[in-house]
Amino acid sequence: MAASSPHLSQLVNPLVSVDQLASSGSQLDGVPSDLESSCIYAGAQLMQIAGILLRLPQDIIAQAIVIFSRFWIGSDGGSLREFGVKDVSLASIYLMVKLSAYPKAPRSVINVFGYLDSFHSTLGDLKGHVDTNNPESYYVSEGTYVAQRAQLTKMETIILKVLGFQTHVALPYNICINYLQALDVFVDHETASHLAKRAFAHLNSALLSPQLLYLTHQPPALATAAIYLSAKETGVKLPDAEWWEVFDTDREELGFLVVAMISMEDFVKEENVKWENRKAPSTLIEMENELERKATANGHH
Amino acid sequence: MTGKSRWGNDEADAAARKKEKEEKKRVKLEKQRKVEEEEARRRDAGAAPAVQEQDSDRPSKRRKVSEDEGRDEEPGIDLPRILLRFTAPEWAPCRHIDNFERLNHIEEGSYGWVSRARESATGEIVALKKLKMDNLNDGFPVTALREIQTLKESRHKHIVDLREVVMGDTLTDVFLVMDFLEHDLKTLQEDMTEPFLQSEIKTLMLQLTSAVEYLHDHWILHRDLKTSNILMNNRGELKVADFGMARYFGDPAPANMTQLVVTLWYRAPELLLGAESYGRGVDIWSLGCIFGELLKNAPILPGKNEVDELSKIFELCGLPSEETWPGFRRLPNAKGLRLPRTPTAIGSVIRSKFPLLTAAGTDLLNSLLALNPAHRPSAADVLNHPWFSEDPRPKATAMFPTFPSKAGQEKRRRVASPSAPKRGDAPKINGEGLDFSGIFADREAEEVGAGFALRLG
Repeated sequence: MAASSPHLSQLVNPLVSVDQLASSGSQLDGVPSDLESSCIYAGAQLMQIAGILLRLPQDIIAQAIVIFSRFWIGSDGGSLREFGVKDVSLASIYLMVKLSAYPKAPRSVINVFGYLDSFHSTLGDLKGHVDTNNPESYYVSEGTYVAQRAQLTKMETIILKVLGFQTHVALPYNICINYLQALDVFVDHETASHLAKRAFAHLNSALLSPQLLYLTHQPPALATAAIYLSAKETGVKLPDAEWWEVFDTDREELGFLVVAMISMEDFVKEENVKWENRKAPSTLIEMENELERKATANGHH
Repeated sequence: MTGKSRWGNDEADAAARKKEKEEKKRVKLEKQRKVEEEEARRRDAGAAPAVQEQDSDRPSKRRKVSEDEGRDEEPGIDLPRILLRFTAPEWAPCRHIDNFERLNHIEEGSYGWVSRARESATGEIVALKKLKMDNLNDGFPVTALREIQTLKESRHKHIVDLREVVMGDTLTDVFLVMDFLEHDLKTLQEDMTEPFLQSEIKTLMLQLTSAVEYLHDHWILHRDLKTSNILMNNRGELKVADFGMARYFGDPAPANMTQLVVTLWYRAPELLLGAESYGRGVDIWSLGCIFGELLKNAPILPGKNEVDELSKIFELCGLPSEETWPGFRRLPNAKGLRLPRTPTAIGSVIRSKFPLLTAAGTDLLNSLLALNPAHRPSAADVLNHPWFSEDPRPKATAMFPTFPSKAGQEKRRRVASPSAPKRGDAPKINGEGLDFSGIFADREAEEVGAGFALRLG
């Protein structure tokens, strides 16, 4: 029984088409796909950290990351040689924040990104960096602010144009809790809340997945996979039957998503090694430098 | 240690379940043994040798028919299970405005210019609304974003369809491509010498209310319902348009919502009194104003400003009291109002102002225009109101008269009426310089000894 209805908008996301998955603006412009993955991962990571500093609820951050990920996909999508990752991250956050119940001034968002820009690496956690905090390195002058705000306004409209104003993002967090309730795991509160936290952690990590899980799978499947994986990790037993089918996820999709979620850990480790003492390119200039560096390195071998 | 859940707690529990299963199995085997013995006995008796032999080929099948054992098998294991599949929408970049050929200008609203256009590829006639992109300090106007977002989510027969968003050569040329309808209710009414018939009003109200019900079900407040935002085609069908003020809401209602919404003549009293949190009631109030306007063929509460609007409301609907509207005095702008100390209830005069309306109709209008938003019905309640089922019945849309379309060719005759509020601070109504005392002067003359006075604080 195929169901298609806007009434299900809380469950349904727009997904990428096969054509969109086949190529991207960046790849057409000659950006290698591993570098593309690194840049998009770094941008999403930057948004996650900025969102926390802006004291945004996680669902707004998640929506912004999904919008950001949609922007780069497909041959009609944005190219990393045309738009800087940082500009797109900043504009995606600002755009979704504006539509939310937690509006922030452009200045707040620009200040936070200015602050994060002063770090040597955006990968990993914030804690290690706070001691080397130097106010002069992240002060945003009035001139810089005005220029960045103009850039922000422009970028925001470009994102909307590329997405055809498709800003709808349904998230798996709420339904994840509903599913856990339906599975009746909240008998023992402590274990269950541990399980729920693990599931949310997997949903948060999946936002940064190079497999763009939020663009290829619907929220019910993401929630189901996160529950399955977390239950295995925390040792909570779930029904012997194929319970995931109750949540409209078949075994194949469940298996794929669980493997993808497990693989996040290794992906992040690899990225951390790859970009240990430097940043993935976040501006157009940095991108050109990186491409040049790669070309030179390849020439030597 | 293994975690707890009702699906298998620990080793002991699992062991217990295993034991239980084994016990069941044992009982089952015992039963089967007995059945077989019985059969063997019957066979030995040789009651019906020919038939019996055939039957003995398929004892297992017969056993399955037995209810008691059939349950032990996993039910429906062979049935293909049907999973709900979602058809996901996709996205693609905005097309260029050059795909459309502009025909004529329709009107300028508070949020943009609207024109009639033809899509070159299909020849279809559409309405193009160019968004006003001023005040870009905060980037893309949030009102425009909300308009697009809420319209995109609304797929309803009586809500105008947003087909796509197209762009021009610059980033400030943004156009909404929508259904084209020949009329709007306001212009139509201005050209009518007589109001719509009751049967026609019923049909219009049912259509309008069904749209409002859909929006409210989807957590969208329109916040600017008025006759000029209601479009009509020549087949008696109406569609709600202009979502420039619309936004998502929740329960409980979000805090700090702006009161600067809804065109003055359709603005609910709680907004005028400065409520920072409100809900579906504001749209229901507008629905009441539109109902009255359809009956009178003229706006029923045409206030000159916020204070005048409020006094017109009190004149028609009576005065609020702590009994009818608990807590209204705590609303920010209510502090400036001083109402009579002994509130001899000043009732509504809706019944006498709408003498042609039946009792049921008056009841509906009264409830829509209840001062206390909590007393207003939901859109679903309105649809079930007895007024719609009493004679005259709602007129079939096919039977509606047709009218020459102004939007189709001619430029509109503009009749002065307010537009939706603009950005900025909501005006504060405070006691200074406000004179409510004259409101009931006429009525006092009519009803001598009403025994109250409105005084200023």
